[in-house]
Amino acid sequence: MKLRAWLIFCAVILACSFAWAAEKGVIPERIVSLSPVITEELFLLGAGDRVVGRTHYCTKPREAQKIEEVGNVLEVSVEKIVALRPDLVLAGSMTSPKAKEKLKRLGLRVEEFPSASDFNGICDSFFKLGRIIGKEKEAETMVKIARSKVDALRSQVRDGNRPAVFLQVGVDPLVTMTHGSFLNDLIEFSGGVNVARDAGSRIYSREKVIADDPDIIIISGMGSDGEKANEKEKKIWQGYRNLKAVKNSTIYVVDSDLYCAPTPLTFVNALENIIRLLHPHDAA
Amino acid sequence: MMQHRSKRWIFWLWLLVALALLAAGSALFIGPSGIPFKKIFQVLWNRQGGIEDQIIWGIRLPRLLLGFAIGGSLSLAGVILQGMFRNPLVEPYTLGISGGAAVGVSLSILLGLYHVSILTMPLAGFLGACSMILLLYGLNAKKKVLSLQGLLLTGVMINFIASSLIMLFLALSRSEDLQGIIFWIMGSLDEPNGFLIKIALGASLLFLFVTYFFHSDLNALALGEEEALHLGVPVERTKRLLFIITSLLVGVSVAVAGMIGFVGLVVPHFMRRIVGHDHRILLVASFLAGGVFLVFCDTLARTVIAPLELPVGVITGILGGSLFVWVLTRERGGKV
Repeated sequence: MKLRAWLIFCAVILACSFAWAAEKGVIPERIVSLSPVITEELFLLGAGDRVVGRTHYCTKPREAQKIEEVGNVLEVSVEKIVALRPDLVLAGSMTSPKAKEKLKRLGLRVEEFPSASDFNGICDSFFKLGRIIGKEKEAETMVKIARSKVDALRSQVRDGNRPAVFLQVGVDPLVTMTHGSFLNDLIEFSGGVNVARDAGSRIYSREKVIADDPDIIIISGMGSDGEKANEKEKKIWQGYRNLKAVKNSTIYVVDSDLYCAPTPLTFVNALENIIRLLHPHDAA
Repeated sequence: MMQHRSKRWIFWLWLLVALALLAAGSALFIGPSGIPFKKIFQVLWNRQGGIEDQIIWGIRLPRLLLGFAIGGSLSLAGVILQGMFRNPLVEPYTLGISGGAAVGVSLSILLGLYHVSILTMPLAGFLGACSMILLLYGLNAKKKVLSLQGLLLTGVMINFIASSLIMLFLALSRSEDLQGIIFWIMGSLDEPNGFLIKIALGASLLFLFVTYFFHSDLNALALGEEEALHLGVPVERTKRLLFIITSLLVGVSVAVAGMIGFVGLVVPHFMRRIVGHDHRILLVASFLAGGVFLVFCDTLARTVIAPLELPVGVITGILGGSLFVWVLTRERGGKV
């Protein structure tokens, strides 16, 4: 009788510890990342050596370029991913829904990271990534640092003037970022006012920009648009001589990698950068 | 003469079956993960679990089956429509059915339904296709007479309307949804759901079987509606049934695999040139050839710039289109 009770006790303890281990999760050792930002964040968190697959556009940091490619951001080869025997696949917002579903059905662990809609979202998703790969503490520390830096930067510009800003992220068609994008946060944190904040669609009209007459125009063409297209776009704006931004020569072309790939730390860098553009006199 | 013809048909059928086996082999044996052939034979012979097993049975085989089903369905639909309309430019996507499916899928993406279940996308596509069939039929059937001319014109117009609607959706949608719609329009054989693949395969075989009963009616219709009527073909009933069959074929294929162009236009043309105009052989030959063509194209799409994957429509368009132009110009040159 005593023996039986003892056995049951052992069984319960064993079961509990298994449940606890399952809850805690096994730390993934072979990770495939299908989003450039996530790849960058994995390296930031010191888990770069565990990444076994990446997309063609995961080029930051430089070490990432040695990792095997499994596709571009839009089209990925499910077969290639499976062949890499990953224990974790990290999917971004652009990953094909069919590919995600297929990978899940093949029994792989797929974690999805929808694109962040504000700075908090960037931090949350970074934190979630840290938790999944067993780098919770590191993620927490970095988020804390990023948050305090952002707070410091925000208080710096709190009492400054509030210039109207038009941020252009796509050249043809004219795409901007409205309320519900981290880029809107970027403008507001830097003490600016996003003229397109409440526009219904991200595709904006040139006429509307001219009517808004922003103090500053920032051009950050994404991806393949390239530097040339951005400079050309700047020339086009300079043709409208009556714009305030033209008169004061406050049209800036910025590094789209810095603005459009938001880890918490690059967000801080981008914020520093945009504050310099918006408040040149304070910085000097 | 009769003897000669049936011998020729049997020859073509065997050739197509051999090509189908070749296509299946290439689809199973070639892929970006580079599994050695010996290993593949072992895995095919007896399933042993492991990564190779998963890749062959879980990824390459379903894709191969879906390729045959979709390629077969689309070119079967193409043959029937071209025969019925007596117009070589008609293809499965001409009649606006694919447009209807595309609008259905885009709406379901825009409304965020696919977050609930990924199955809502094919379902919405199929519903879109079905409502378009009803609309087309309602517009063009007067006093039990289905006007083919009207069907063609309204179909083309509806397709234009549908593509404008999709552009509107694209302009209004958020960037994540944008990806979803574009993916779907590009078409893909990478279907995760095994059940849908079975439906596509089952439907294509079933409709091949059913349309085979119409082979002599189709032959008669090729002479013209009036002539067919004189030959004792129940023209209206046949047209109606064939219209519904092709619509369902296209509806199912488009709902499962998205828009994969050129198969339904080019393959029936080629087959007509090769095996002749008799629908007894043409239906089966086109079905087989469509499957073979799409599976070959998909194998290319998966491997040509591996590990990057191309949308299969890119390959069908470039390969099918240029092959077709080449054959046409060569033939004309020969005549001169």
